Amino acid sequence: MAAKVQQFDLPSSASSESDDAEPCLEDREVFFADEQLEDIDHNRRSDGTPTPQSPRPPSTGSQKSPRSRRQRTTSMSQSSKKTSAESILRSKTRTIYTAGRPPWYNSAGQQVEPFVIGICGGSASGKTTVATKIIESLDVPWVTLLSMDSFYKVLNEKQHEMAAHNEYNFDHPDAFDFELLKSTLQRLKEGRKVEVPIYNFVTHRRENRTKTMYGANVIIFEGILTFYNVDVLKMCDMKVFVDTDADVRLARRLHRDISQRGRDLEGVLKQYSTMVKPAFFYYIAPLMVHADIIVPRGGDNEVAIELIVQHVHTQLQLRGFKLREKLAHSYSGQPLPSSLYLLPDTPQIKGLHTFIRNKYTYRDEFIFYSKRLIRLVIEYALSLLPFKEIVVETSQGGVYHGKRGATDKICGVSILRAGETMEQAVCDVCKDIRIGKILIQTNLQTGEPELYYLRLPKDIKDYRVILMDATVATGAAAMMAIRVLLDHDVAEDNILLVSLLMAESGVHTIAYAFPQVKIVTSALDPEINERFYVLPGIGNFGDRYFGTEPSSIDD
Amino acid sequence: MGSADTTTVGKKLISDNNDTVEEYGPNLKILPSNDQVKELQTILRDKNTTRSDFKFYADRLIRLVIEESLNQLPFSKCVVTTPTGAKYKGLKYQKGNCGVSIVRSGEAMEQGLRDCCRSIRIGKILVESNADTHEARVVYAKFPDDISERKVLLMYPIMSTGNTVIKAIAVLKEHNVQEENIILSNLFCTPIAAKTLVTAFPKMKILTSEIHYVAPNNFGQKYFGTEYHGVEVTSNVQKTNFARRYSYDSD
Repeated sequence: MAAKVQQFDLPSSASSESDDAEPCLEDREVFFADEQLEDIDHNRRSDGTPTPQSPRPPSTGSQKSPRSRRQRTTSMSQSSKKTSAESILRSKTRTIYTAGRPPWYNSAGQQVEPFVIGICGGSASGKTTVATKIIESLDVPWVTLLSMDSFYKVLNEKQHEMAAHNEYNFDHPDAFDFELLKSTLQRLKEGRKVEVPIYNFVTHRRENRTKTMYGANVIIFEGILTFYNVDVLKMCDMKVFVDTDADVRLARRLHRDISQRGRDLEGVLKQYSTMVKPAFFYYIAPLMVHADIIVPRGGDNEVAIELIVQHVHTQLQLRGFKLREKLAHSYSGQPLPSSLYLLPDTPQIKGLHTFIRNKYTYRDEFIFYSKRLIRLVIEYALSLLPFKEIVVETSQGGVYHGKRGATDKICGVSILRAGETMEQAVCDVCKDIRIGKILIQTNLQTGEPELYYLRLPKDIKDYRVILMDATVATGAAAMMAIRVLLDHDVAEDNILLVSLLMAESGVHTIAYAFPQVKIVTSALDPEINERFYVLPGIGNFGDRYFGTEPSSIDD
Repeated sequence: MGSADTTTVGKKLISDNNDTVEEYGPNLKILPSNDQVKELQTILRDKNTTRSDFKFYADRLIRLVIEESLNQLPFSKCVVTTPTGAKYKGLKYQKGNCGVSIVRSGEAMEQGLRDCCRSIRIGKILVESNADTHEARVVYAKFPDDISERKVLLMYPIMSTGNTVIKAIAVLKEHNVQEENIILSNLFCTPIAAKTLVTAFPKMKILTSEIHYVAPNNFGQKYFGTEYHGVEVTSNVQKTNFARRYSYDSD
């Protein structure tokens, strides 16, 4: 069972690991579709992935590591095969579109509270199986799974010794760090980034490394004492208690600890009778009163899981997670927002637009004139950054009252793929600028934007961010990107959204949701068609620039 | 420009467009100023700017000036079809333009022009000025054959007196280029030079990024890295002698 959990943990819980042992790696990254994207560098990092929830406390007697960590050199494709073979994401056959993060905010850009499901139940009652089945049936690609096992307290020498002799009580509430648990869950609920500790069951300490997680539309929080703390209990929107008979649980435990963890019968029984069983009756069983749903027999109970899934679906819809269509059809005919900075309408800019909008323009010309236009847009965007007045000495002997940029902490963030076309221009005008990337794709089935990949400079919160996307239609992708930056604690007024062409509705949407974000573009088009392309527009900018248009373009 | 003039002159910047029109007529245009442009100008004037920075920021300002100069070219309306099938009302530029750079510092602007117009023809004029009399003399000129039928983008970054440019325009006119077909592209201009040029060539268009009483005359040297460090120059007299001996022009 542990192995199964481990596999769905990667795609479903939106996590990656930061590794303190590698200070040279400055970028913080989160990898969403790590199974599918072929990026060796990232695979390397998302590879060594001991997930916090799989090792069970009773394995204390064993000298073996609860689960041997995979080598960093292990190729990712193997585990990816395992994962796709695993039933968790079975309904999806397409590659990349299966694991992105759908919007976690409503059409006004405001954070929508994720739906938190708390799962409680005795040891080996099948909590993770229930969680897995819920995730499977929910069919939302983005779920964060948080386990109480990550929050075991760090043991001192004496306790460590006790644990080695099966005498430390891991089933007692005192064994958990509820304060940390509370703050972590709270942050996840706010959609922010958290560093979840990785508990090492051999040393009984937290590892230096942590696991980076994000709040998702659905957060599942499971553990033996999830309903114990009142504050944590309040954060759960739905409380599920998995009630499996004691003999079944003991049988599972015996099977798991002996055959999988190499422990002896006597030790397991001793631990069960002195600690696991009493703890269940004293602390865990009474928590059943808090439950909204009690699931007898655990994961085999299809009816109960079906009910839970239906409820969650209703809740998610109520919270307004459907985005794109709503965005496209609002705010028509309103005055343009004051946060919009449109480049001066000069003949050259109009001429450049004529070239790149013309569908008969050859690609080399398209690229050339796009680059010229991009350069102008970037130069203009830089003029919107703060400046301070300075006085310099000139080579001619006098002084000159001039200006200097008030900050050198500027970084660019491009939204893949079209936004990348603007990176070169930013690098051309800002020496040694850092560039982050965000991959957002449209889910072809739902038409919703989904977040797949994110790599941002460390300390991005201290930076002014030039966020680049070549075209903005509904603004859905740009909104998601801005939301990501805000979640990384970038100040809203430090963000500049820079684009070649925007649709009016997109501008309204973004300005309404994020009034302090400066929006810069070289042209504004009035409409969006039913496929969310801007009209008259430019076509698919990325395809035209990179030469990946479908071979038959209808004339 | 040899005297040690340390008076503060920076504030006397003429940036307001209405003032410009009043003072220099409608054909002199200043690159729309913003903080960003101002920063570039500041860096270029700062004597502590390293050469690598100088070239980097000069290229950026040049690009902006060239883009703005191209705005002065004539265009006509046209309608194109976009990939979405919709019509876009755009405009297109006429063919038959060329660039002419004045050697040496004008050549610094050639790349900026090339970056905007890939295959544009570029002519050159070498004007030498006498260090004693400041009199300018044309040493070399090479243009496209049909320059008389073309619009000419004349490039020269620094104008203190305007003598060099006046000479260059005279040469263009000798080649039958119409005065109204010349667009002068410039980074830094003094009020005297501006006045002289608009008076002498009222039909020519001039685009500059700044009109200021002090022109950064070391532009060419710093851009191309030919400041004379090897020779110890102690006094102004020596400096003048040195310049005289090698007919060294301040730009």
